[in-house]
Amino acid sequence: MRARVIAGGVVSSIAVLVVGWQLGGQPAVTAPAQQSTTSGSGTTGTSTGTSGSTGTGTGTTGGTTGSTGTGTTGGSSATGTFTGDTTQTRYGPVQVQITVAKGTITDVTALQLTNSDGRSVQISQQAAPILRQEALQAQSAQIQSVSGATFTSEGYTTSLQSAIDKAGL
Amino acid sequence: MIDTARPTRPTPRHSGDGAVRGTLPPAESLEVAARRRRRAGRRRNAVTDLLGILAWVSAAGAVMLWLVSPGSHTVVGIGGWLTDAGIVAGLVATDLVLVMLVLAARVPLIDRTFGQDNAIAVHRSLGKPVLYLLLAHGALLTLGYGASAGTGPIAETIALFSTPDMPLAYLGLGLFVAVVVSSLVAVRRRLPYEAWHVIHLLSYAAVLVALPHMLSVGSVLAQGTWQRVYWIALYVLALSLIALYRFALPLVVTLRHRIRVVGVEPIAPGVVSIHLAGRDLDRLGTEGGQYGVWRFWTARTWWHAHPVSFSAVPGRDRARITVRDLGAGSARLGRITPGAFVSLEGPYGLFTSRARTAPYLALVASGIGITPVRSLLEDTDLRPGEATVLLRGTDADQQYLWHETADLAEVTGSRLYTMVGHRSRSRESWMTEEDVRRGVSLRSVFPNLLQADLYVCGPRAWSDLVVREARLAGVPEHQIHQERFES
Repeated sequence: MRARVIAGGVVSSIAVLVVGWQLGGQPAVTAPAQQSTTSGSGTTGTSTGTSGSTGTGTGTTGGTTGSTGTGTTGGSSATGTFTGDTTQTRYGPVQVQITVAKGTITDVTALQLTNSDGRSVQISQQAAPILRQEALQAQSAQIQSVSGATFTSEGYTTSLQSAIDKAGL
Repeated sequence: MIDTARPTRPTPRHSGDGAVRGTLPPAESLEVAARRRRRAGRRRNAVTDLLGILAWVSAAGAVMLWLVSPGSHTVVGIGGWLTDAGIVAGLVATDLVLVMLVLAARVPLIDRTFGQDNAIAVHRSLGKPVLYLLLAHGALLTLGYGASAGTGPIAETIALFSTPDMPLAYLGLGLFVAVVVSSLVAVRRRLPYEAWHVIHLLSYAAVLVALPHMLSVGSVLAQGTWQRVYWIALYVLALSLIALYRFALPLVVTLRHRIRVVGVEPIAPGVVSIHLAGRDLDRLGTEGGQYGVWRFWTARTWWHAHPVSFSAVPGRDRARITVRDLGAGSARLGRITPGAFVSLEGPYGLFTSRARTAPYLALVASGIGITPVRSLLEDTDLRPGEATVLLRGTDADQQYLWHETADLAEVTGSRLYTMVGHRSRSRESWMTEEDVRRGVSLRSVFPNLLQADLYVCGPRAWSDLVVREARLAGVPEHQIHQERFES
């Protein structure tokens, strides 16, 4: 009788795990948000919850405002604020805004940071100042990711790159 | 020695209608009854097995929650592996804690198919492994986060403490450690039952304070996911079974039956029968051999709950339990005054004829262990010659309820043997020295032992020896029924 429980338990547990494996498998690093035409709707439906829904919402607006709204000047030496696209990560959306004066990035503000859970909030708060500093020094999105904050860093650089593109730097 | 002169053997009395019975030989009807019991037994086993498999699946389900979370298939780096192992350990541990709660919840289905005492035995065996998993959960995540962020474990612990809900989680872990440590055999023996019980009740608090950090710190149970709904549903299920069967149902039983003490009758040194009166006690549904957890509401005894067997099947407004002063609490029971209000959890237990699977019945009782055996004999529909009873006592003082049992044996046409004297000193045995020398064995007392359900109740060490001999003699496991008096 006990043997039956163990055998049955092992077999059905394996079945459950196989099903779980099949259901899972979304890429850990979500594809960066597409260009504003697809309105940054994020990737999979899995990144969930308030963070997921707000992420998609702001992604849509962020995408449009980023392309049209903020940039005051075009041309070679841009000036003004430019908002990057929202990038979805498994820990929530990331979006940054850059302030540009005569072709130079003077400030980077994080509008959204990974916030799906307490741990992510903690990580992104640690990482954001470091990423900002690196971006101001490099004047580009080619910056090193912060260890322990891989997803935040990746989302940050992706959004940063789209903001730089919009500023035409 | 085994007193073979004493058996209340019914042969002379029943020999007269032997011809009538001859048309339906007892052996055959016994077989029919045995087949019915075996079928019922198989059904019980099937339910038990299903419940067991369900417990396994729930643990696998906990791992599945992690498997379906994004990123579980692409774990990178030593930090990632440590972190994810920690998450899985936490999920499985929590699931098993909920399984433990259900096992201890006195769910009638579990009691009737598996036996509450067996359920508690499983509950106990899970305690330490679960604690190890919880400690591993904390350690692995601290190291994993630390490795990812490049900080040491101490700095990481400080950082975790400042994360919302994490202080509560550490509190929960501390409570779990206290609960398990207080339940270690060595520690528990030194603790008064009440102290252990109060510490054990903290496990409910531990389970509750651990929940917020699962929902807010990790991303496996993120908001808006079915995983979160499933997890909360597990919590609700386990806690409502506890609330329903450990608290609400006993309260309803107590209020409905209004049990009071009507008399305390000393029947041997240190042994009292407590006579109880109440309303509709027959509707408690007590089966012979079951026990209740009793609490006597007097100034000196209300804080101690006693698991005590019914020593007779309750009538409509009368019930009786018999207690020996084994512990500090039960010694006071002899001083309970009539009129005291009594609350009851139960009846519980599978030491009843419901558990039978074989044609014959062998009952072995020692000391206070006679109480469930007596009520079982009273409540079982027996054919003459079906049951054999063996009563053991150290001396004349330990022969309480023997007369009643002998009367029941006579009425049911059962053989009854008694064995009086100290246990053998020459070697480890459940018998007296004299009986060991005479070559007495379970097989010689119970000629049909291999076709009998063996019910054993008495001091733990003694009854273990009886059961060991039965196993060696080849009695199948499902025919062995041992009562364990432990909460």
